[in-house]
Amino acid sequence: MSTIMEWIDKRLPVTELIKSQATEYPTPKNLNYWWNFGSLALTVLIIMIATGLFLAMHYKPDAALAFKSVEHIMRDVNFGWLLRYMHANGATFFFIFVYIHILRGMYYGSYRAPREILWWIGVVIFFMLMGTAFMGYVLPWGQMSYWGAAVITNLMSAIPVVGNDLVIWIWGGFSVADPTLNRFFVLHFLLPLLVFGVVFVHLWALHAVHSNNPVGIDAHDDKDNLPFHPYYTIKDLYGVGVFLIFYCYFVFFAPNAFLEADNYIPANPMQTPAHIVPEWYFLPFYAILRSIDFLGSFSKLAGVIAMVFSIAILFILPFLDRSPVRSFRYRPLSKQLFWIFVANAFVLGWVGYNPPDASLFSGAIPLILIGRTSTAIYFGYFVILWLVTALDIEKPRPVPKCL
Amino acid sequence: MRLIKTFFAVCVAAAMVPVALHASSGAPVLPEQSWSHTGIFGSYDKHAAKRGAQVAVEVCMGCHSISLIKFDQLRALGLSEVEVKKLAEVQGRSKNDRMTSAMDETAAKDSFGVIPPDLSLITKARKGYEDYTYALLTGYPSEAEMELVKKVMAKGAISEQDALEVQSALLINAHDKEQMKAKLERLVGGANFNKYFPGNFLAMPAPISAGSVQYADGTDNSLKQLSRDVVTFLAWAAEPTMEERKSLGFWVMGYLFVLTILLYAIKRRIWAKVH
Ligand code: HEC
Ligand code: HEM
Repeated sequence: MSTIMEWIDKRLPVTELIKSQATEYPTPKNLNYWWNFGSLALTVLIIMIATGLFLAMHYKPDAALAFKSVEHIMRDVNFGWLLRYMHANGATFFFIFVYIHILRGMYYGSYRAPREILWWIGVVIFFMLMGTAFMGYVLPWGQMSYWGAAVITNLMSAIPVVGNDLVIWIWGGFSVADPTLNRFFVLHFLLPLLVFGVVFVHLWALHAVHSNNPVGIDAHDDKDNLPFHPYYTIKDLYGVGVFLIFYCYFVFFAPNAFLEADNYIPANPMQTPAHIVPEWYFLPFYAILRSIDFLGSFSKLAGVIAMVFSIAILFILPFLDRSPVRSFRYRPLSKQLFWIFVANAFVLGWVGYNPPDASLFSGAIPLILIGRTSTAIYFGYFVILWLVTALDIEKPRPVPKCL
Repeated sequence: MRLIKTFFAVCVAAAMVPVALHASSGAPVLPEQSWSHTGIFGSYDKHAAKRGAQVAVEVCMGCHSISLIKFDQLRALGLSEVEVKKLAEVQGRSKNDRMTSAMDETAAKDSFGVIPPDLSLITKARKGYEDYTYALLTGYPSEAEMELVKKVMAKGAISEQDALEVQSALLINAHDKEQMKAKLERLVGGANFNKYFPGNFLAMPAPISAGSVQYADGTDNSLKQLSRDVVTFLAWAAEPTMEERKSLGFWVMGYLFVLTILLYAIKRRIWAKVH
C-alpha cells in the first residue's frame, strides 16, 4: 500500500496535497457554528447535482411533455418522488445556507482585506445560484413556472435600445414557449457544474488567505490554529447531521411546504394566475424591483437596476467598510446597523410576497410605501456603514490580541 | 441594543402576517376538515377512497378526466378485478386505460365554455388543498339558502338585516350591497354559485347531492359523506406514493437522529482537548 502511494506521490503529490490542504490545514480554533454554513452549502450543492442528474434521466424538456414527465417521476420512477422532493427542497436549504453564509461574512468582516477576492467569488457564485434556481423552477412547466418565467424574462425588455430584441432572443420566439423551456433545461444542467468549479476557486482563495474568525484578527500559527482534521471534519459532519434532520423532515413529511399550489396546474399561456409570486428566496429582491414605481416610464428600468445593484453592491462592500476593526463583535454601531439590515430583509420578503396594491390597517399604510422605505433602508445600510467608518464616528471596543 | 432587538422582533413578526393580510382580502375562510392522511403519521382511509373512486367514476368523470391514474391502479384501494372492470365500463374504458372522461374536450368546451380541469392533482393544486375541494363540493347553496335568497330579492332593496343574514349563509361580504345584489340576481337567474369558489360563479353546476351515488355496502350517502369520500380518493390520486414516502421517512429520521447524536458525542470528545 505505502509503496503504491510512494510511487504515485513521486509523480503526483496527492498525500502532500491532502495533508496541507485538508488534514493538517490550519484553521482558527475559535470558529463558531456560523462557520458551518460553507460546508453545508457545499453539501447541498452535491445533493443538488446528484439528484438533478438522476431527474434529468427521466425528465422531458418539451412544453407538451414536461409537466407529465415530472408526474411520471413522482409516480412511476422508483424513488422518483424522493429525487424530486430532495431536489425541490434542496433549493430552499441552499438559499437558507448561502444567506446565512453571506450574513456571517458581513457580521465578522470576512469580506475585508485580504479576503476581497474570496468574497467576490462568493458573490459570483450567488448570482449563478440565482440563475440556476430561477431556470430550475421553470422546468416543471406549471402555472408559476410559466408565468414566473414570463414576468422575469420580460424585465430584460426595460434595457434601452436592445431590450425587446434581447427578450425575443432569450425566448427563442415571441413568447415563453417550448424553445425557452428547452434552453433553460440545458442551462440549468450546465450552471451547477460551473458553480461546482467556481466553488473550488472559492476554496482555493480561502486556502490562500485562510479563514477569518469571530474575533476578526489574524490567527498566529501554533496556539491559535487547529489542524482541520479531526477538529473541523467532525464539527462539519455534526452540522451536516443536524441539517439532514431538518431537510429530511421536509422531504418526507412536508415536501410541498415551500412549493406553490399553482405549480401543480399545467402551464397555460391563455390564463394568468391571480397572483404571481416568485419562490421565497427571491422575494426581497422582487420587492426592491417593484418598489421603484415613481419614475414614470423609467420605473421598470430603474427597478431592474436597483434589483441587480442590491446584490452587486456586495462587490464594493470591502471598500465601503473603513473601520480599523474587522469583526462587528467590537463595533457597537455597525452591529446595530447589521441587525436592522437583517430585520429589514424579512420585511422586504414580506412585501414581495403580498400583492403590490395591498395595504395594512385597511388602507392606512399602503404596502408600496413600506416597500420603498425598506428598499431605502436596504441601500442605506451600505451608505451608513461607509459614513460611520470613514468618518470615524464609531469607536470600536478594544480587540483581544490573540484568539 | 434593546431597541434594535425589539425592532428586529417586530419585523420578523411582520413577515409572518401574510395569512392575516390575505384573510382580510375577501376570500372566505375554509372550514378545516380532519383527514386521516394528513399529518406525519397519516395514511389514506382506504375504505373512503374506494367509495370515492366510485363517486369519481360515476359522477365526476362525466366531465373530468383523472388521467394520471389507470383504472387498474384502483386495485391498490382494495377494489377487485371485477369491480375495476365494471367501473372502467362506466366510462367505456377497459381496465388498462387511463381514467379519462368519455366526454371529449370540444364537447365540454361547447357546453361549459371551459374544459373541466383534470382532477389528478386537484387537491395539491389549490390553496387550502383537500379542505378547498371539500368546501367546493359542499359549498353550493342549499334549498333553505335559496329560499332565503328569493325572499330577500323579492323585497327589492336589501336591508341591513337581510345583508347580514345573506352574509352568514352565503359568505358574501355584507358591506358592499351593490355587489351582493348583483350576485344574488345572477344566482336567482340560475348561474352556478359556490360559497368558496373565488368570485363565486363557476361553470360547474353542483355535481353531487345527497343520494347521487348508491354504495353497494349501504354506507350513508349524504352530501357530506359523498364529498368526503371523493376528496379522499382525489387526495390519493394526487399522490399515490405518499404512504411509501412517510414510512421510509421514519426509518431515515430514526437513523439520522442516532447518527447525529453519535457525531455530536464524538465532536464533544475530540474538542474536549482544546481549551
Ligand atoms: C357537469 C360536468 C361536471 C361534473 C359532473 C363535475 N364537474 Fe367539476 N367542473 C366542471 C367544470 C366545467 C369546471 C370548471 C369550472 C370553472 O372553472 O368555472 C369544473 C371544475 C372543478 C374543480 C375546480 C374548481 C376550481 O377551483 O377551479 C373541481 C375541484 C371540480 N370540478 C371537482 C369535481 C368533482 C369532485 C366532481 C365529482 C363529484 C365534479 N367536479 C363533477 C364540470 C363538472
Ligand atoms: C454555492 C455556494 C457556496 C459554497 C458551496 C461555499 C463554500 C464555502 C466553504 C466550504 C467555505 C469554508 C467554510 C466556511 O468558512 O464557512 C467558504 C468560505 C467563505 N465563503 Fe463561501 N460558499 C458559497 C457561497 C458564498 C457566497 C455567496 C459568498 C459571499 C457573497 C461566500 C463568501 C465566503 C467567504 C467570505 C468565505 C471565507 C469565510 C471566512 O473565513 O470568514 N461564499 N465558502
